[in-house]
Amino acid sequence: MISKEEKFPIAKRYNVADVQVSKEATAVKPMVVANLIKKAKNPVLITGGALLEDSKLVEIAVKFYEKGIPIIATGGSSKPLIERGIKPLFKTYTLHQITQFLLDEEFKPNGKNFDVVLFLGFLPYYLSRMLSALKHFSNITTIAIDEFYHPHAKFSFTNLTKDKELHYAMLEEVLSKL
Amino acid sequence: MFEIRKGVFVDELRNVSIRIGEVAEEEEEWEAQGPTPKPGIIELRKWDHKLLERYEPFYAPVQDFCNLCTMGPCDLSFNKKGACGIDLRTAKARLVTIACSIGSSAHTAHARHLVDHLIEEFGEDVPIDLGGDVNVEAPLIRTVVGIKPKTLGDLRKALEWAEKEIVKVLHSTHIGNEESILDYESKSMQVSMADHVGMEVADIAQIVAFNFPKAKPDTDLVPTGFGIVDVKKPVIVVVGHNVMYSRPIMDYLEKSGRIDDFEIAGLCCTAHDMTRYRSKAKIFGPISYQLRVIRAGLPDVVVSDEQCIRADLLDLCSKMGIPLIATSDAAVRGLPDVSDWEVDEIVEALVSGKLKGVFLPVPEKVGEVAPKVAEAIFNKYKDRKYKFFASDEELKAEIAKCTQCMSCVFTCPHNLRIDIGMAHAQKTGDLSKLAILEEQCLACGKCEQACPKEIKIVNVIMRSNFDKLYTKTGKTRVGRGPIQDTEIRKVGQPIVFGQIPGVIAAVGCINFPDEMKSIVEILEEFLKRRYIVVTSGCHAMDIGMIRDEEGKTLYEKYPGNFDAGCIVNVGSCVSNSHIAGAAIKIANIFAMRPLRGNYAEIADYILNRVGAVGFSWGPYSHKAASIATGFNRLGVPVVVGPHGMKYRRAYIGKPWKKEKWWVYDIKTGQKTFIEPAPDSLLVAVETKEEAIVQLARLCIRPNDTSMGRQIKLTHYIELSKKYMGDLPDDWHVYVRTEADLPLKMREELLKILEEQHGWKIEWGKKKIVEGPLRSYDAGFNPTVMEEVFAKYRR
Repeated sequence: MISKEEKFPIAKRYNVADVQVSKEATAVKPMVVANLIKKAKNPVLITGGALLEDSKLVEIAVKFYEKGIPIIATGGSSKPLIERGIKPLFKTYTLHQITQFLLDEEFKPNGKNFDVVLFLGFLPYYLSRMLSALKHFSNITTIAIDEFYHPHAKFSFTNLTKDKELHYAMLEEVLSKL
Repeated sequence: MFEIRKGVFVDELRNVSIRIGEVAEEEEEWEAQGPTPKPGIIELRKWDHKLLERYEPFYAPVQDFCNLCTMGPCDLSFNKKGACGIDLRTAKARLVTIACSIGSSAHTAHARHLVDHLIEEFGEDVPIDLGGDVNVEAPLIRTVVGIKPKTLGDLRKALEWAEKEIVKVLHSTHIGNEESILDYESKSMQVSMADHVGMEVADIAQIVAFNFPKAKPDTDLVPTGFGIVDVKKPVIVVVGHNVMYSRPIMDYLEKSGRIDDFEIAGLCCTAHDMTRYRSKAKIFGPISYQLRVIRAGLPDVVVSDEQCIRADLLDLCSKMGIPLIATSDAAVRGLPDVSDWEVDEIVEALVSGKLKGVFLPVPEKVGEVAPKVAEAIFNKYKDRKYKFFASDEELKAEIAKCTQCMSCVFTCPHNLRIDIGMAHAQKTGDLSKLAILEEQCLACGKCEQACPKEIKIVNVIMRSNFDKLYTKTGKTRVGRGPIQDTEIRKVGQPIVFGQIPGVIAAVGCINFPDEMKSIVEILEEFLKRRYIVVTSGCHAMDIGMIRDEEGKTLYEKYPGNFDAGCIVNVGSCVSNSHIAGAAIKIANIFAMRPLRGNYAEIADYILNRVGAVGFSWGPYSHKAASIATGFNRLGVPVVVGPHGMKYRRAYIGKPWKKEKWWVYDIKTGQKTFIEPAPDSLLVAVETKEEAIVQLARLCIRPNDTSMGRQIKLTHYIELSKKYMGDLPDDWHVYVRTEADLPLKMREELLKILEEQHGWKIEWGKKKIVEGPLRSYDAGFNPTVMEEVFAKYRR
């Protein structure tokens, strides 16, 4: 159970028209994200194309890797990560392909299924559809840690679009608690 | 002496009617009929299931509810079933089938309009003559319908088949029909194949009747972009996809000797087709330029036809005092039908403002009315062109209204930070942060709907970047139509063997994830590497706007032949049929595979041998959905930009499932496991870097020769290193022999194969001894169809 203090009030969606009838993501604070990762049996961080534009996100992803979270790099995000010494599990496949793979219980690239998947650095509308697929057709716990509130994730940061620095600080806080 | 005998006189036959139906002429025996002429809704199901077994459908719901019937709305979340029994996955498969049916019916109805009109105007005996170098005139119609059309009249037979199939597929989407996603996907493919036939009918009809360019590589270059028109002339703007209605404008002005007194420019594919008719016409741009052009007061009259036209066109035009002439019965726009009015009566009603617009589905009258209205309106509002605001003060006042509430940001398809641009301009007067938004802005106008202060946000953005927008003009090579048989003869073998590393077909709309120039950057990467690049529709006109440092567009830098390192603009949306047609012609002209009613064999050939990949960087319309799905059924993978995810369905294989990747080798008679090439049929990418790498990898085919595989792998590896920072994850699965390896990297790669993948290498000879999934055999002859295997194994 997540306490009231650990949640944000209902957040504004990245797109006001992305409306569903089913459960929307719980907007959580960094501590909850850290706890979910710590409790996970086989977590993974998937990175997207925003890392090509935002070096701070690269730095954050590197820190996750250093904390033992494997990375699947998509959208070309592998390039700045490899330059920083990261060895991603995958770098060739798109998030679209990786999501198709995640929906298959036989997909065990490091010997086990991924139970907790974090998403960082994606175009919000592109990520949203993948979160929707994972929500409806898998049991994976999805956590969106981008600056947008993602209604289709199981857990998401709140809407941080107005305050980039707060977003970075929240990411750092997750890392500090791992 | 002649005697009149008793009998029946004509007079007594007055109540007998005699009908002479179609005179059945025996068709010339041009080729033996194949197994599936005019295939019914399930006749190609087996082929579809072969594809779908490998390329599993993937669904990304946009909504998790269904409200199509009165028992709903139903909550289908987590794959629950609704009142009718349908679950979420199947509901999405059905929705995609509906979308493809819409796309298919758009092209096919367009074809029907054209064919019926042209037969009325020119007669049904107009020969199908696409020029001396095109003997395989209608590869799709031959392959699917099983006929060889010789005249305009013959095209009706193909249309009748397509129309029947569209209705049958649409029927299957009714409550209580299919319950398997695979059957819905098969029907999506069926209706999308009909779409390709409809497109071919439409384009052949207009090429032969209007004398468009016939497979000519060096067509004229026409001005393209926002800043193309001379403000001292009346401007006639045509918008839509069916040139039939606006073509007579050219005829009228030519006949009256006044063609040079007017500017005629188009938006969307009608623009392409106007330039194919007369290269004096110009191209403003795609759908995202509709608001830009109208709000800038450029048209003195707008002539609309059908498809991809803003649904608020009349409202937009009337706010600017621009009369609208709607012409297509598909988009009447609530306007009065003035077909029976005299020309001068219509002109007077529009110029005086008594009517904001008219519905005039009579092309000849449109030809006369449009110039007369344009001239009168031009004289009325001489100074309004290229102005988004009357003054800088007005612009400033508009910006001052913004409270940074961010409603626009969370409505914008790209979440553009309009609030930051407005705040910065308010504080400093500097418009630069608003100006940069223009490069990515789709000018959809949703932001204005969300704005509580009713700020004209689109105008603010356009005005802020005015100079760059105005000069973002270049030249588009006029659509050439089909690919010549002689060109296919030249490139067929190098494509099938792999020496030409691939054909990249950039097709589709403008819903790009980033700046328009990215499409040019992506395609130039392949042009420099001597792939064949083919384009059409909105992508083709965007390419015509982007110039390099020397002021040249890709059309001016690379030739228009269907050959390595060249860029071919086939024309409008319906000209996409020539891209599919080129793939089919390779199977026919190079490999001598019979086309007639032989779809599955041809698609199987293309899937295994022809390294062509469709690319839609900005997919938007339903037509783009059916075009892509039609290519997929033909064995051509398609890469879409990130907005393409919203089509909800993709076809993505799982390369690690080795049992899924097999073929029959006709030469050895064995079922053989193969490398997963291509491993997806429809996949969305997020960035241009990712697009480039995916396009290169999806060009690999099982049939590549060692030389071809070596070339394809060289590009794939180089591009992966350049954009992904390292070797691709899967490069080794494409290696059958050391000869497949890029020459310059052979030793390095052999070492990696040995150390990281456990392959055995004989270092003395630098030879792979053990490791690959299969060995290379020059006679390898792959198929996944049992019937094809049996036919050629005999």
